Amino acid sequence: MNPTFWPSRRDVLRHTALGFGALALNDLLAAQALARTSGLSGAPKPHSAPKAKRVIFLFMKGGPSHIDTFEPKPVLDRDDGKPYPGTRPRVVFAKTGNLLKSPWKFNKHGECGSPVSELFPHVAGCVDDICFVHSLHGTNPAHGGAVLKLHTGSDNFVRPSMGAWTAYGLGTENQNLPAFVTVCPTLAHGGVNNWGSAFLPASCQGVPIGNASTPVEQAKVKYIENSNLTRDAQKKQLDLLGDLNRAHLDRSGPDAALEGRIESFELAFRMQQAMPEAESIAKETDATRKLYGLDDPVTAPFGRQCLLARRFAERGVRFVQVTHSDDKVQWDQHGDLRKGHAKNAREVDKPIAGLLKDLKARGLLKDTLVLWGGEFGRTPTVEGGGNDGRDHNPEGFTVWMAGGGVKPGFRYGATDDYGWHAVENKVHVHDLHATILALLGLDHEKLTFRHAGRDFRLTDVSGTVMKDLFA
Amino acid sequence: MSLRIRLLAVLSLFCVIARPSTAADPPLPPEDVRFFETRVRPLLIEKCFKCHGPAKQKGELRLDSAEAIKKGGGSGNPLFVAGKPDDSLLLRAVRHADGVEKMPPDGQLKDAEIADLAAWVKRGAPFPVAAKVVGSDPAKHWAFQPVLRPEIPKTKDQPSTPLDAFVLAKLEAAGLKPAPPADKRTLIRRATFDLTGLPPTPEEVEAFLKDTSTEAFTKVVDRLLASPAYGERWGRHWLDVARYADSNGLDENTAHGNAWRYRDYVIKGFNADKPYDRFLLEQVAGDLLWKVEGGRMKDEKKVGPTRGSDSSFILHPSSFDPVVATGFLALGPKVLAEPDEKKMELDIVDEQLDTFGRTVMGLTLGCARCHDHKFDPVSAADYYGLAGVFISTKTMEHFKKVARWHENPLATADDLKRKAEHDAAVAKLKGRIKELTGKNDDPAKAELKTLQAELATREKTAPELPSAMGATEGKTSDVPLLRRGNHLTPGAVVARRFPVVLAGEKQPSLPKDQSGRLELAKWLIDPKHPLTARVMVNRVWRWHFGKGLVRSVDNFGLIGEKPTHPELLDYLASEFVRDGWSLKKLHKRLMLSATYQLSSAHDLKAATADPDNRLLWRANGRRLEAEAVRDSLLAVGGLLDRTAGGPALTHVKNRDYIFDHTSKDKTTYASDRRSVYLPVIRNNLYDVFQLFDAPDPAVPNGDRATTTVPTQALFFLNSELAARAADALAGRVLAGNLDDSGRVRVLFALAYGRPPTAKEVERVTAGVATFEQEFATETNAAKRQRKAWAAVCQAVLAANEFVHLN
Repeated sequence: MNPTFWPSRRDVLRHTALGFGALALNDLLAAQALARTSGLSGAPKPHSAPKAKRVIFLFMKGGPSHIDTFEPKPVLDRDDGKPYPGTRPRVVFAKTGNLLKSPWKFNKHGECGSPVSELFPHVAGCVDDICFVHSLHGTNPAHGGAVLKLHTGSDNFVRPSMGAWTAYGLGTENQNLPAFVTVCPTLAHGGVNNWGSAFLPASCQGVPIGNASTPVEQAKVKYIENSNLTRDAQKKQLDLLGDLNRAHLDRSGPDAALEGRIESFELAFRMQQAMPEAESIAKETDATRKLYGLDDPVTAPFGRQCLLARRFAERGVRFVQVTHSDDKVQWDQHGDLRKGHAKNAREVDKPIAGLLKDLKARGLLKDTLVLWGGEFGRTPTVEGGGNDGRDHNPEGFTVWMAGGGVKPGFRYGATDDYGWHAVENKVHVHDLHATILALLGLDHEKLTFRHAGRDFRLTDVSGTVMKDLFA
Repeated sequence: MSLRIRLLAVLSLFCVIARPSTAADPPLPPEDVRFFETRVRPLLIEKCFKCHGPAKQKGELRLDSAEAIKKGGGSGNPLFVAGKPDDSLLLRAVRHADGVEKMPPDGQLKDAEIADLAAWVKRGAPFPVAAKVVGSDPAKHWAFQPVLRPEIPKTKDQPSTPLDAFVLAKLEAAGLKPAPPADKRTLIRRATFDLTGLPPTPEEVEAFLKDTSTEAFTKVVDRLLASPAYGERWGRHWLDVARYADSNGLDENTAHGNAWRYRDYVIKGFNADKPYDRFLLEQVAGDLLWKVEGGRMKDEKKVGPTRGSDSSFILHPSSFDPVVATGFLALGPKVLAEPDEKKMELDIVDEQLDTFGRTVMGLTLGCARCHDHKFDPVSAADYYGLAGVFISTKTMEHFKKVARWHENPLATADDLKRKAEHDAAVAKLKGRIKELTGKNDDPAKAELKTLQAELATREKTAPELPSAMGATEGKTSDVPLLRRGNHLTPGAVVARRFPVVLAGEKQPSLPKDQSGRLELAKWLIDPKHPLTARVMVNRVWRWHFGKGLVRSVDNFGLIGEKPTHPELLDYLASEFVRDGWSLKKLHKRLMLSATYQLSSAHDLKAATADPDNRLLWRANGRRLEAEAVRDSLLAVGGLLDRTAGGPALTHVKNRDYIFDHTSKDKTTYASDRRSVYLPVIRNNLYDVFQLFDAPDPAVPNGDRATTTVPTQALFFLNSELAARAADALAGRVLAGNLDDSGRVRVLFALAYGRPPTAKEVERVTAGVATFEQEFATETNAAKRQRKAWAAVCQAVLAANEFVHLN
């Protein structure tokens, strides 16, 4: 008789690559039985050869205006002040008036000649690495719904975020760090749901490093430090704990859950070292700091977030989200567009360019997918009395990607002449999700989880992989 | 975990593929199955089944199975010419060709849809059978059949109780023997955590050990059931499936400032052993019970379909319970800033309907919002029949962004009198102030000043009328079936009714002037309802044994798991109803069985034959749930504050934002009360709860997961709570005038409910000495000793034995 049902500690260790060294042991027994019969190994694997191994999502909270940043609209400039001649969406967030041209000039950049407005001079220098999608649509006219839809694919139900799906599908590359980290996320408009795991295993959940109200230099993972005991003393405490646990295990008989918990304390102890090391930028050179704009108080906060993203990415974290959000809805210029967008762009432009250049110089850009975008764009029509605001526009807007197997120096899709509706090569949010998963080697139709009576996906029942975007 | 699910997904896909449309046919190629399931089946369901499906067969034609399609319609002409789509009757009909009846009659399909049908016929019209429903009538599914009280099975060995006979019969059939009974210390620890979520005190353990009577354990169970901690523990279980929360979550995370009234209602209900049928009746239709039970209305004419907040009840305070109970329907997460108001309303109804279905019937009704249920015999028409009941119920004041939920007033006559007096006084003051304003003489000015000050004071101290989130009657109406769940594509109106598979074709029509919730509730708690008692009995079993008899506790549908012991489930369900739906009697029935009292001892033969313990050959080891972890830490440290009930949110007012744009977290958990009384914030659950697998409070969940992740270890090693509990425990250990081995004995009694072994005494004492050295720089000997013991206590609390039940 061979008691194969009880995994040894070694077996358990082999199966700890499920994100944050997850040891979900109740299911491990069954997983092992299946793995053994099917000849598959324990760690999750992509469905096909991945082009990207990890994602860095630069989320611009509030909805940056596509027609003032990356998609110029000459017809809008021409018709400034006239009524919008097209059909307005059935549901809008706020009332808007006539057309408002962009206050910013656009120029063509790089060899590809992609247009970028004056708002992003540094990113403009990187356009030959960037793949623009000008035809994203399908979030929601309000922030909450739109932020949730962009992150989880659903604006009305609680669903796992795309980072959680990525962690679920691929696990982590570094057992001492989580698979999914989110740097200074906003707690409003969906909050934790935007990095939550919903019905997926808890280990797939994003680990927040501070939040939007935390100054980034104070942002830390919870419970990672001990103020009472030195590391040496804590080691002694763990020795005692280990002895107590082993005595208990001897009495209980073989038990995978108990063995797994013993192991989790050893992992935690290692993580205590790995996480602060990843969070600290002490060893970064002055040149690197400058590249991210850490020498300028305006760009330093977001620069530091971007630098952390690179540090997590190079240490094997699968999905790093960096949120640009202040204590208001940062990019939400219903009024004060000129001042607000200029301020916001100034804060992120240099850090984003720094991140792209740094990733490229370190050879990380080729298998790191950088995604930039907000929850919607903005209307071509003016909101408010000051002739200086735009409403939410989920009908057509721009996101861009770089690295990780997308076509560099490429533009895809377009909104109509005024920039309201996506019209050419439309990309729905579900399509974007399907495409991101595909770049990671995950088939969005196969990456499913059985819950409440059916198999759920990030893309619900939709989603088309946009192969045109692949390099 | 993910591996297992992924493998299962792959395997189940393989099952579908490998299963031919009929037994004789070869398996269909996977790409055919995929094409059919993604492009053709949804189209057939949406466009054709209405007339050519399970309900109707116009022209004697059905399109819902391979056989039916092969057979064709009444005309006798075949539907297809294999491989030749253009000549096929089906294609000619949908293309509106001459000489053929145009299909569908209410509008031609889109070009892309016709192209899909053509491609399908070209492939030979492959029609795969869904794996789960092959060869069976879904309406005959076990869970939809009446509960029949089964015979008690005969066994070779003498069972202790009828319950055990069912378990023993299966074990004997498998050639297995149950594990020996658990020892008394294990048993009292298990029972105490099970019923109260707290560890037994050393005194309780000792008393049980000393009591050698045969009734000793019965006495323990009775004592625990009578403890207020019982309702706090089991109320929390119910709150899991009622997706209870003190904030809305989703997009606009505003405060459910009065949700605590529902939470307290639930806890009180469990402690009072409120019969489960009554408990459900109140939660679904409590506001309507006044008619039956003599609650008086302020103004009877304003009741019912009136919209507005003045349809207030004046009931005796104790009878507010049923009104508060309807919070069950109202507490769900809502997208309050959805600009599409109709969509918001329908999403809210959907959330209520889906929660109602899963929580009380174990049915995923929400699936039928967009199409007939893929697995269960619940049609879209069934869904909209029920949706009519909920849409005729009012839980929202309005749907404008930001939308406002309804609260039922709970004012007593005295409250109202006080309010009226206040309002009259304010009105009088305002009137006089108006008269005086503008007058220039000194006495008038002086009076004005005094009155303004008085007004300000009065307004500050205005009596707030109590209210609670909940349901009341709305405007009664039936709703149209919405194609693909989209309100922009309405179909025929469906009369309000209950699902046909459970309530039958012939149902008494629901009242024209009421939502039908009272009828719904009464139908639900009819002892003949096949699901209500089964689902609850199974939930209670799950919360005692760690796994349900039906392991998919929230899904009794076709895709849910079959019961491991179907007869036992029915036995328990019928006894539950016979006992007047008493939960406390059910607890006793389960806990006084030999099965509950088994040890978790390992047995190689049984572990090999039944590694998952489906046959219940031993007790399942379990980790404590999030609340029990926290409460136990506080309890053994002597820190637990046992104050019961009352508001959860102290930092925000009702309906204010928990989180606004600033992302500042003002929620405080700095309280030592039991976890059930801490705020439950959607979108940002207390991190200690999140860490230990508390379920997302936005969805019902009767089967919490147990994960083991290093962040949990970090909590025990580094959190302020763990350190504080350890320090307090050290204080208790050092309080008596004992030597070190005596102290270790106290420590183990408090933390583990047992004496330490000699080796453990030695190891822990050595640990204390190590830490005394570690803290050598602390010159105050008493402080040094306390710190050393605290470090040791923390290890003891972090150890497996503290959080794991055998």
